[in-house]
Amino acid sequence: MTIIDKKVLDKILYHVEKPGRYVGGEHNMVLKAWDSCSTRVALAFPDLYDLGQANLGLAILYEIINDRPDILAERVFSPWHDMEDAMRERKIPLFALESKRPIIDFDILGITLPYESIYTNVLNLLDLAGMPLHASERDESYPLVIAGGQACFNPEPMTDFIDAFVIGDGEDVIFEIIETYQLWKKQNLDKLSLLLALAKIAGVYVPSLYDVTYFEDGTIKSVDPKNEGVPKQVHKRIAPQLPPPIKKQIVPNIQIVHDRIAVEIMRGCTRGCRFCHAGIVNRPVRQRKVADVLKAIDSGVKATGYEELSLLSLSSSDHTEILDMSKAVYDQNKGRRLSVSLPSLRIESFSVDLMDELKDLKPGGGFTIAPEAATDRMRAIINKPLDDKILFETVETIFNHGWLNLKMYYMIGLPDERMEDLEAILETAQKVLQIGRRLRGNRVRVHVSIGTFIPKPHTPFQWAISEDPVSIQEKIDFLRDGMRQAKIKLSYNRPDSTLLEAWLSRGDRRLGKVIEKAWQLGAKFDAWDEGFIKEYWYAAFQECGVDPHFYTNRERELDETFPWDHISAGVFKDFLLEDYQMSLRGETRQDCRDGCYACGILDCFAQVRPSNEDVYWGCP
Amino acid sequence: MNPITPYRVRIRFAKLEGLRFIGHLDLQRLFERALNRTGLPLRYSQGFSPKIRLNLASALPLGFVSSAEVLDFWLNCPVELEEIKKSLQESLPKDIQIIDIEEIDNKRPSLQASLRSSVYRITIPISYAQEELIRGFNGLISKETIPFIRRKKTVDIKPMIESYQIEITPEASVLTLQMSSTAENNGRPDELLSFIKVDPADVIIERIQLIFEE
Repeated sequence: MTIIDKKVLDKILYHVEKPGRYVGGEHNMVLKAWDSCSTRVALAFPDLYDLGQANLGLAILYEIINDRPDILAERVFSPWHDMEDAMRERKIPLFALESKRPIIDFDILGITLPYESIYTNVLNLLDLAGMPLHASERDESYPLVIAGGQACFNPEPMTDFIDAFVIGDGEDVIFEIIETYQLWKKQNLDKLSLLLALAKIAGVYVPSLYDVTYFEDGTIKSVDPKNEGVPKQVHKRIAPQLPPPIKKQIVPNIQIVHDRIAVEIMRGCTRGCRFCHAGIVNRPVRQRKVADVLKAIDSGVKATGYEELSLLSLSSSDHTEILDMSKAVYDQNKGRRLSVSLPSLRIESFSVDLMDELKDLKPGGGFTIAPEAATDRMRAIINKPLDDKILFETVETIFNHGWLNLKMYYMIGLPDERMEDLEAILETAQKVLQIGRRLRGNRVRVHVSIGTFIPKPHTPFQWAISEDPVSIQEKIDFLRDGMRQAKIKLSYNRPDSTLLEAWLSRGDRRLGKVIEKAWQLGAKFDAWDEGFIKEYWYAAFQECGVDPHFYTNRERELDETFPWDHISAGVFKDFLLEDYQMSLRGETRQDCRDGCYACGILDCFAQVRPSNEDVYWGCP
Repeated sequence: MNPITPYRVRIRFAKLEGLRFIGHLDLQRLFERALNRTGLPLRYSQGFSPKIRLNLASALPLGFVSSAEVLDFWLNCPVELEEIKKSLQESLPKDIQIIDIEEIDNKRPSLQASLRSSVYRITIPISYAQEELIRGFNGLISKETIPFIRRKKTVDIKPMIESYQIEITPEASVLTLQMSSTAENNGRPDELLSFIKVDPADVIIERIQLIFEE
């Protein structure tokens, strides 16, 4: 095929909402001559441009691939309903933003899977591209479809549709995949040869090369490689060093979410909160040196013209040089118009000091803290200890240092949650508001945001029950009434919309047909509050004869084989089990920087550690 | 406070096809960032959240191209005009082309306040029968009023049309329209197209001139 006819495209763009989503042409976009590259990669984020363009992983891969002269990377996002209708009506296939070439012309389609509610959009994307949905129906004439991202730590629900998954950090493995592809193409072999070669790369999982057998009760008996040379378990890849910061971040022409410079200051976390998927799968900690952060800020500002910047990590306070960093960032940028946000701060007065170091660079707006639970009992269950005395002291400091708006994140639906835990959320919020009013008067606003806990694979709570939406709704109602009376703003997700994530995150291969059916019935943009229509999904489960409750309302046996057990995040299942049992007993485990609990990750990166001696790893 | 007298710069620029689907507010942001990348001594607005001081003469509707847009911005001190033009052009996407640059007296009224009219060139492909177009347009223009519903309110387009001309070539029918461009009476050439049964998506509308009150 050739480039999409510009006239035809322009005609439909004239009539769709926000056409700027589909035209590319941004500052720092890379458009390479098609014929100058031997391998062409389309990088897809299966949601709107407005969301996907902000994804840091996508930006990293885009830059490092395009830095190589013989390869090119272009971008593609999901079209919104109006654009999709127009494209289907005029038979315009899905195309890449840079060259306007159809996706089917590319060699590799790399899809980002950051969360589960994006899965139906993947099917829609493949369909719009004119490709068969099933990996088994795509021969060597189609692009190789690979996927990466946090959701891939349990790839099983998407195994029907994806040729190969990247488990873990993608920065290094992407080139091994591309080189394997290039070699295969030269040899002119069949697709199975490519898949077998890919399966030999560390961190690459080729699902079609495994057989899954089940017990009568529906749980997994075993997952076994079908071919020789295919590993029994796929270990995630660990990038020994953080990739260099983005040199030329794309500056979108239309407004997107997180429309600012993003500098990753640390990857991984040592805290061990039991609900946190990111905290386990991104181990070990790797942090960026202050000098490198400063370099990244300076080049980022010059390359983009942005006046807003965010320093990203799972837990900023845990960067060992965070105070120096705050000071240095201020010194470097004083006099410049730049707002610097430092999210994910621990609840302690030190966090306020850190923000104060940024002086006039700190963003306007509120201060955010995430206690997650309000009783000591629940804090022990989730392993996020916090002394109420320190919480209230911190809150005082926050108000005393000028902030008037405070946002607090809590979770509901946690294991063994009781009424007293919910009451405590309400009481704490009320007390915080009182403190604010006492110190700063009636201008103070407190905003409580409630998230529904969903048990995630590879976490100590992977054995736990996911609470049903009816009782979650009751809990929300209770909090809503109480917060309303107390004049505290409350925000929350519809309990129904978390259902999908609960089904899929601990799902197995049998969910592939359910996803496909739901998509056929009309499900897409499930991550959008107005997008998720549960009726499609219930109908799909029923038609496929799969019981959704099997995935949510069931406490797993301690010795059950999970659908994701053959994917290793570098952490032993025994460690997770021990931690789960500690949780049941209300025991906590301290930050693992001080003492090692042998989670397994040390062994996992023991090989790369000696050659990267100057990197801070977070492990003792 | 800014003690020094600001240096006011005016550029005329073309907005080409690649950016025709980027709207007015987005274009404003695009200029803010492009100016920021130049490292020029930009002047900021006063107040609680200072912004780069810049001023676009008129919002160009989504989908239009232009060879006549005008932007004012301010610097804290004079800089060689050619140098400003060069560094700003380098920092802008290729679909924005600076045509010329000049220094403007600070006392001159704002661009929006002095804008009176715009001239648009509408190029209609020959898939639309040319005689029919002429007949349709002449019929429309001879009417006393041309009522059009804009955001649930009926407005009369007729008095907004200041002059017009149709040119027929073998390649296309070209309609040149001068319409008023004031806050109260902002003529939109695409609104006229529905009366002569032309889909605005089929044509290229280019703004070719902005007329200011002197």
